[in-house]
Amino acid sequence: MAAPRSNREFIEACVKSGDAVRIKQEVDWENEAGAIVRRACELAAPAPFMEKIKDYPGFSYFGAPLSTYRRMAISLGMDPASPLPEIGKEYLKRTNGEVIPPVVVDRKDAPCKENILKGKDVDLCRLPVPLVHDGDGGRYVGTWHAVVTKHPVRGDVNWGMYRQMMFDSRTMSGAVFPFSDLGKALNDYYLPRGESCPFATAIGLSPLAAMAACAPSPIPEPELVGMLAGEPARLVKCETNDLEVPADAEIILEGEICPDYKVEEGPFGEYTGYRTSPRDFRVTFRVNCITYRNNATMTISNMGVPQDEGQLLRSFSLGLELEKLLKSQGIPVTGVYMHPRSTHHMMIVGVKPTYSGVAQQIGQLAFGSKLGPWFHMVMVVDDQTDIYNWDEVYHAFCTRCHPANGIHIYRNAPGTPLYPFATPHERKHSIGSKVVFDCLWPTDWDKINDVPTLVSFKHVYPKDIQDKVLANWTAYGYPPVK
Amino acid sequence: MNQWEVFVNDIKELAEDADLELTIRTLNAGIHKYTYKRVRCQVSSDLKKHADQLQVRLGRGQLSASRFSIKVLDEVQRLPEKYR
Ligand SMILES: Cc1cc2nc3c(=O)[nH]c(=O)nc-3n(C[C@H](O)[C@H](O)[C@H](O)COP(=O)(O)O)c2cc1C
Repeated sequence: MAAPRSNREFIEACVKSGDAVRIKQEVDWENEAGAIVRRACELAAPAPFMEKIKDYPGFSYFGAPLSTYRRMAISLGMDPASPLPEIGKEYLKRTNGEVIPPVVVDRKDAPCKENILKGKDVDLCRLPVPLVHDGDGGRYVGTWHAVVTKHPVRGDVNWGMYRQMMFDSRTMSGAVFPFSDLGKALNDYYLPRGESCPFATAIGLSPLAAMAACAPSPIPEPELVGMLAGEPARLVKCETNDLEVPADAEIILEGEICPDYKVEEGPFGEYTGYRTSPRDFRVTFRVNCITYRNNATMTISNMGVPQDEGQLLRSFSLGLELEKLLKSQGIPVTGVYMHPRSTHHMMIVGVKPTYSGVAQQIGQLAFGSKLGPWFHMVMVVDDQTDIYNWDEVYHAFCTRCHPANGIHIYRNAPGTPLYPFATPHERKHSIGSKVVFDCLWPTDWDKINDVPTLVSFKHVYPKDIQDKVLANWTAYGYPPVK
Repeated sequence: MNQWEVFVNDIKELAEDADLELTIRTLNAGIHKYTYKRVRCQVSSDLKKHADQLQVRLGRGQLSASRFSIKVLDEVQRLPEKYR
């Protein structure tokens, strides 16, 4: 199965496999669509494809695009039933492979140019921008999208998923954190010079383009999409600036980020499961041009309690990118995983504990890396513990992590305004704190006499007895174990 | 009659009968619902005092029980000329 090249191909594949439902009855853009997406996330139900939207004939919504591992497998062109470790292996294989640069196509071959609004016609309210959660600070244009910019000096292209709220018909305000690639370009270059930064927002992307836009990978996103898809991404030049955007996207907004104009953004329902970050003056985008496909589909990610893309996809890519980083440093890690229900706050790292202090080394690298602001707990377990099995990890944590020697706290680290536990002052200034839970037996303990023996079916019985019991399990009168 | 909404951290920000500068959003039905304007205005807890109505949300989106009437005096243009 090939990876879907566009949001449309993806919807088709999901409907076919039972991972999306077509909703034919009219849905209100104000709260109703958001509530459907939220419930679908909380039930891990098929993604809603809402074909009729109140006030917006011809437009549709696709919600919760990558909030299940099944849909993630479909996006990579894999069997929807693929187990998570297999999906992870595939991501690592593809993103460690040959770089596949994008191709630029002619505008006549770019569906996103089918309708073009410029000048007085530019009005974001002509698009079915949803009110995602009741009580949000505004209708959010960008919840599942890519903000495309180019570094003015280095020339490298950045696609980032930074939420964007509609302030008025031509203005959006967004949460671009200072440690993000765009945040750094704005603070290093544009803001001190008072220059505006050209941007384009692409909505309704292929699922792999969206995955790339929120993956914390050092590979430029247009190349990363090609590597994930196994073929070049198709880009097309913007109408009003020099940026290139995915040609098959549903909607493109072009404009400039204003260095000298800020409007209020938020509050908004966030991936932590709360509305936490304060309403504030944030990065402000002026829209000069809108282009869109006929019968355009707007994509919606509805963040809240698990599980949505904010947790599932981010946990997936943050964990795998950390695995690459730790391996690149020669650390004997056996795997890295974040359980989505930790709202990507806890990194679980499996390691062969061959030297002392390895848990702290892992924690310091993880927190000190570009990924660090997004999580505050690192739990290090040994290679005998199945990192995907929370029962095993939790058992290791509760029994092996020494309360005085095994917990290491780091203060005044980078954070985000989104941390629900952070004090109001810490949220305002993005100040974080971090903790490492070392769940490894100390290397200076005598392995025979000091290290406790794990008492479990798998570990305590000889192989022949295990095989015999397994072979006779139903004969003893038990139902078969799936 | 127009319906408006404002976000405040503290209801005391809405001093009655004083000239205030607020960022308010329209709740009038239609495709422009929830778009914002920066305005100079006066508010009153007497719902009959002004023709337009204002409802209030607090810092994390909670709807306040306090209701006001509002008179929009004029729009405040914050957008620098070069972007207009
Ligand atoms: C649904 C969703 C919404 C996101 N919203 C934001 C956001 O508003 N601001 C932000 O800085 N990152 C947000 N992220 C995370 C970024 O997309 C992610 O950090 C990405 O790697 C871009 O960051 P970079 O520029 O540092 O590479 C979001 C991710 C997802 C999945």
